[in-house]
Amino acid sequence: MRKDLLPLLLLGFMAGGSIGARAAEPKPDGSTVENPFRGVMQDRTAQSPEEALFVEKCGMCHRQMGMGTVILARRMDPKVAMLEARNNLTVQFVIAAARAGLGNMPRISRGEVSNTQLARIAAYLAKVPGK
Amino acid sequence: MTRLNAAAMRSFAAVIGSDWVMTGEDDRIAYSDHFAGDEQRHRPSGALAPGSTEEVREIVRIANRHRVPLWPISRGKNFGYGGPAPVLKGALVLDLSRMKKIEVDAANGTVLLEPGVGFFDLYDHLQANKIPLWLSVPGNSWGSVAGNALDRGVGYTSYGDHSARICGLEVVLPDGDLVRTGMGAMANSPNWQLYRHGFGPGWDTLFCQSNFGIVTKLGLWLMPEPEAVMGYDYEFDQPDDLGWAIDTLMPLRREGLIQQSPSIGNWLRSAAVMTTREQWTRDKGPLDETVIDAIRKRFHIGWWSVQIRFYGYLDVVEASTRVLDRAFDNKPILSKKPARWVKGDPPEGSPVTGVPVSFPLANANWHGGRGGHVGYSPVLPPRGDLAMDQFKRTYALYQKFGMDYHASFAMSERSLVNVNQLLYNKDDPEMMGRVDAMFRALVADAAAQRYGEYRTHIDYMDLVANTYDFNDHALRRLNERVKDAIDPHGIIAPGKSGIWPKGQRT
Repeated sequence: MRKDLLPLLLLGFMAGGSIGARAAEPKPDGSTVENPFRGVMQDRTAQSPEEALFVEKCGMCHRQMGMGTVILARRMDPKVAMLEARNNLTVQFVIAAARAGLGNMPRISRGEVSNTQLARIAAYLAKVPGK
Repeated sequence: MTRLNAAAMRSFAAVIGSDWVMTGEDDRIAYSDHFAGDEQRHRPSGALAPGSTEEVREIVRIANRHRVPLWPISRGKNFGYGGPAPVLKGALVLDLSRMKKIEVDAANGTVLLEPGVGFFDLYDHLQANKIPLWLSVPGNSWGSVAGNALDRGVGYTSYGDHSARICGLEVVLPDGDLVRTGMGAMANSPNWQLYRHGFGPGWDTLFCQSNFGIVTKLGLWLMPEPEAVMGYDYEFDQPDDLGWAIDTLMPLRREGLIQQSPSIGNWLRSAAVMTTREQWTRDKGPLDETVIDAIRKRFHIGWWSVQIRFYGYLDVVEASTRVLDRAFDNKPILSKKPARWVKGDPPEGSPVTGVPVSFPLANANWHGGRGGHVGYSPVLPPRGDLAMDQFKRTYALYQKFGMDYHASFAMSERSLVNVNQLLYNKDDPEMMGRVDAMFRALVADAAAQRYGEYRTHIDYMDLVANTYDFNDHALRRLNERVKDAIDPHGIIAPGKSGIWPKGQRT
């Protein structure tokens, strides 16, 4: 039974060493921050305008410790629970999932993400060359 | 009122562009309540997404001419309370999520926001500009900062009573007029975000949970980054520990030693985020103690747990922590885990230090499949014995209706807010059939104690408004008189908080 994916995920992205994802260092007196949900801050950085758009519109759920990431990790290998770690996403699938919703994911309205923006995000996730 | 007025829609398109007039079937579905068992009940006829205050004003004028009811949303992420969906089926959603301007006054610790700014957006802005101000975030930080404050949402830090930190609004009135409240009533005042009251009657709270106008800018105070954060995570072993734990903490809260509103939650509040029910039992009935014990043991959580945090100078938070230690001296706690962060440490990285999150929404997956929840949140006096009574009565109703008890008691300075969630599986019609009757039983139970909810789902706004019954519902009559005066054609959010326009009252 994989009942403890949250700590697993936590470890997963802490190991990544990205900003804000480090474990608290032990203090000289030996105490540490013990909050079990510490270190749940996402890496919000981006290397391209497409990635920045993904972070702005989707990252809250689909980067580290997002609702989508946490739930997807229950259904597949946690290593590919983050959409950006996937190599099998197509433009068509991303657009359909966003507009129709999928499982616990609500539908994303055109007011929140326009068709043009969604096409750019889908190309980024599908790893279309140049995106 | 589900048929679209073609002339009105043409006028809307002329103002905001046809791309932002969204009336397809997909759009109507996208702006529905995705947590609802029956999404049809509150399906809008479409949505409009203006990009500026001027466009909002023009839309409101057109809506008035054509009598088109609008349902303004900031970002529509008010999950558990209806999401983007209107009370009135067929209303047109006014989606403000494109309006995302942020103006921070770093020196004074304030921000002026448009409604489309989400907690992650504001967080990113503060980080990118290295502004040492912290957010107070709710458990679901996907939503709008302004929308959450206007709906009286709460967070984890000492700035957690979000509506109490509002300082100045810009509001489009139902006739298209534009007003600024507080010091903003004076053109170009440097004090708009600094002094709340202005001169004469204060209007800010009239635009909270109301349908008297559309807030297009909201001023909010933000917490200067403290030198240190300290405290404890306490776990308690027994259901009966709730009473004395509240009686231990409340004096410190009332005196102001504790500045945040600690929320003492049951084991399921923690567990529903980390696991799913089917991992533990196939039995659909009430969870028995052996299952609860196994889950608690696996995740090291108490029957109840609470996080206490002090914010400020290191000397002060250390002293505060010592006082907290004394208060819990010889009390039968299960465990106490210290928390300590000092400026210069790596980020603590959780909501208690203002980091936005969305993972708590994973509790919608507790039953597996497509889940959801509805919130039931009565307010009661801050006494341990009353909290125990409330817990036992509510627990009995959860048992009676075969649902899993999910609750917390947030300690404000002078009250307890008992936030309960009814977690359900949308695709289990038998379970969905129990939710409505259970919710009504809960509201009736609270009302019998003369407790009212602080906030509710769009399905239950009339039900909850009805419980506010002093002098034969004098408050409703007053709200209706204001509504009639300010919005005679009833175009802004009909039915919000149980306030209906003339001709639509029952």
